[in-house]
Amino acid sequence: MARTGTRRSIRRELLVVLLAAVAVTWIATAIVSYVDARHELDELLDAHLAQSASLLVAQAGHEAEEIDVEHSPQLHRYGRRVAFQFWENGTALRLHSANAPNARLSSKLEGFSDADIEGQHWRVFSGWDADRRYVVQVGERRDARDEIVAKIAKNLLWPLGVALPALGLLIWLGINRATRPLRLLNREVGQRAPDNLAALELGDAPAEVAPLVVSLNRLFARVATSMENERRFTADAAHELRTPLAALRAQAQVARGAGDAGERARALDNVIAGCDRAAHLIDQLMTLARLEPESFRAQREPCDLQEIARFAAGELAPAALAKAIEIELAPASGPPAAVPGDARLLRILLRNLLDNAVRYSPPHTTIRVRVDRRDGGASIIVADEGPGVAAEERGRLGQRFHRLLGTQATGTGLGLSIAQRIAQIHGATIDFAETAPGVGLAVTVAFAPAADEGA
Amino acid sequence: MRILVVEDDPLLGDALQAGLKQRGFGVDWIKDGVAAELALRSEAFAAVVLDLGLPRLDGLQLLGKERAKGSKVPVLVLTARDAVEDRVRGFDTGADDYVVKPVDLDELAARLRALVRRSCGEPAPILEQGELRLDPAARTVAWRGLPVELQAKEFNLLHEFMLNVGRVLSREQLEGRLYAWGEEVESNAVEVHVHHLRRKLAPELIRTVRGVGYVLPREPGNG
Repeated sequence: MARTGTRRSIRRELLVVLLAAVAVTWIATAIVSYVDARHELDELLDAHLAQSASLLVAQAGHEAEEIDVEHSPQLHRYGRRVAFQFWENGTALRLHSANAPNARLSSKLEGFSDADIEGQHWRVFSGWDADRRYVVQVGERRDARDEIVAKIAKNLLWPLGVALPALGLLIWLGINRATRPLRLLNREVGQRAPDNLAALELGDAPAEVAPLVVSLNRLFARVATSMENERRFTADAAHELRTPLAALRAQAQVARGAGDAGERARALDNVIAGCDRAAHLIDQLMTLARLEPESFRAQREPCDLQEIARFAAGELAPAALAKAIEIELAPASGPPAAVPGDARLLRILLRNLLDNAVRYSPPHTTIRVRVDRRDGGASIIVADEGPGVAAEERGRLGQRFHRLLGTQATGTGLGLSIAQRIAQIHGATIDFAETAPGVGLAVTVAFAPAADEGA
Repeated sequence: MRILVVEDDPLLGDALQAGLKQRGFGVDWIKDGVAAELALRSEAFAAVVLDLGLPRLDGLQLLGKERAKGSKVPVLVLTARDAVEDRVRGFDTGADDYVVKPVDLDELAARLRALVRRSCGEPAPILEQGELRLDPAARTVAWRGLPVELQAKEFNLLHEFMLNVGRVLSREQLEGRLYAWGEEVESNAVEVHVHHLRRKLAPELIRTVRGVGYVLPREPGNG
C-alpha cells in the first residue's frame, strides 16, 4: 500500500483522461460555435447597416438640403457606436450622427468597406439615393462587434469552468464505486492467513473482476494441492523412516545382548543391512521429492532408449550376478529408438524397474530387457521370471510405499512410484503384465509417437 | 511366555524376535494380518505385538475382529503412526498398549510383562507364592529366601505356574505357552522340566493331576 503513490492508478488515470476529453470536446465545440456566431453576427449586422442606410436614404433624402449639419439623438446603447453621414455629391457633409467623425467614413461610395479613422476600425456601408445626389454612409465601430463576440465566447466557456470540477467529482465518485470490488478483493486477499487457501467468494463481482477471482481461486486450488502433496509426502516419509530406524535400534540392542558371537555377528550384519536400506530409502525419497512438484519440467532432447537400457543394465548387473540372476538386453533392431526426454531421468526410471526385477527374482532366472519401436512410438519392456504379481494386485503397483507381500525383498516401496512419475513427466505410460502365463512380471514403458509430444 | 509378533518389516521383525527371545520370551513372528488371525485362532499367546500397516489385513482391522470374537489376549500396538487420533483409535479398537516406533527392547519386554501380569489379574511385578518368589523382570527365583539357578525353560514354566496359581494346566497348554513354532519339542519335555523344578525347589511344590496336567496349589494365607 505504501507504494500506491508511485504506482499508476486506474482511478487517477480514468479521471484525468475523462476530464481532458470533456474539456477538449467542450473547447472544440466552443471554438466552432464562436467562429460560426461571429460569421452570422457579421452578416446580420452588415444587413442592419445596409437596411439602416436605405432607411436613412428613403426618410431623410429630401430633407437633407434643409438641414445644415445636424446631430441626430442617441436611441440605444449600441447607438453610440453606429454612425451615419449624408454627403451631397459625395463631397459636402450635410447630415451626420453625433458620434460620426468629420472625415468621410469610407472612401468607397458604394457597398461595404472597412476603414480606419482616428484609430478606430469601422465597418461602413455606402449607398446613393435614387437621384444619385446624396451618398449615405452608415458605419459601425468594430469594437462594438468584438465586444458582442467576446460576450458570446465568454458565455460559451464559463460553464466549462463550473462544470469541470463538478464533473470531476462525479467521475471520481463513479470510478470509486466501480472499483470497489477491486479494493474489497485486495482487502480480502491481503488479510488472509497464509494457510487460508479457501476459494474467494465470487459474489456479484463485475465482469472485469470475476476472471481475476476465478484465476486466483484456481491458483489457490493449485497451491493447496501442492501443499497437501508436500504435507502428505513429509508425513509418509517420516512414517516410512520410523520402521527402518526401529529395526536398526532393535538389531543393535540384539547385538549388544547377544549370548554368542554368531548371534552378535548376525545382528550386526542386520544393522549394516538396515543402514543400507535406510540410505536407499532416503535416496529414493529425495528423488521422488525432486520429481514430485506438478511444475516439474524435464529436459527434452533426443534420448536413445537402447543406450539408456544398456546403461541401466550395466549398473544393475553386479547386483544381479550376486544373486545369480542374468540380465539380458535384446540387440537393437533397426534404427535407434529416440524419444524426446531427459536421459538422466530415463536412466533412473529404468534402473528402478531393473532394481525391482532383481529384488523380486529368484536365483538362476533371467531378466529380459527389450526396446521396441512401433507406430512411431517406442517402448522399453523389462520382463522377469520372478513370482509375478496377481492381476488384482497390479493396480496397486506404483502406489507409494506399497510393498509386495510374502517376499524377503527389502524394497522401499518407492521404486515404481518414481518410475511412474518419470513416465508421467515424459507423457509415457507404464503397464504391468505377466512375462508368460503364470510367470513373472513384465513392465512396459510406452512412449507416445513423437507427433503427439507437442503438449 | 509366548508372544506373537506381527510385523511385515523383515529387519524389524527379525530384531523383535531375537531381542524378545534374549529377554526370555517365546516368540512367533508373523508377517501379515491374515496369517496372524490364523495363528491367534490356533494358539494361546500371552500377548501380541501388533504392527498396524500390515499386508492383506490391516493391524487395526485384525484387532477389531479379534475383540469382536471375544479374544482377551493383551495386544501391544507397535507402529509408526504417531498422531493422537491414531493412538486414540488404537486404544478404542482394543489395544492394551500403544508404542510408537522406534522402541527400546527392554521397555518393550517390560510393557509385555506388565500386560501379561495384568491379564492374569496379578498387579504385583514380583510374584510370590508361599516361600517361592519370582521376579519376571530380573528373571530370578528365590526359594525360602535363597536364590535358585534355573534354566530358561524351567524359569518360563515356573512363571506360567505362578501366573496361574491354583489352575490346572495341561501338558499341551504348557507346551503351547513355552515353545515357539519351529522349536523342537521333545515328547516328554514338560515332564522333564517339572521334574527339574521339583528337584531344585521342593518335591511337593507342583502337583500332578493324573490324566489332566499340573497345578501349583494356592498356599493358605496367600490370597
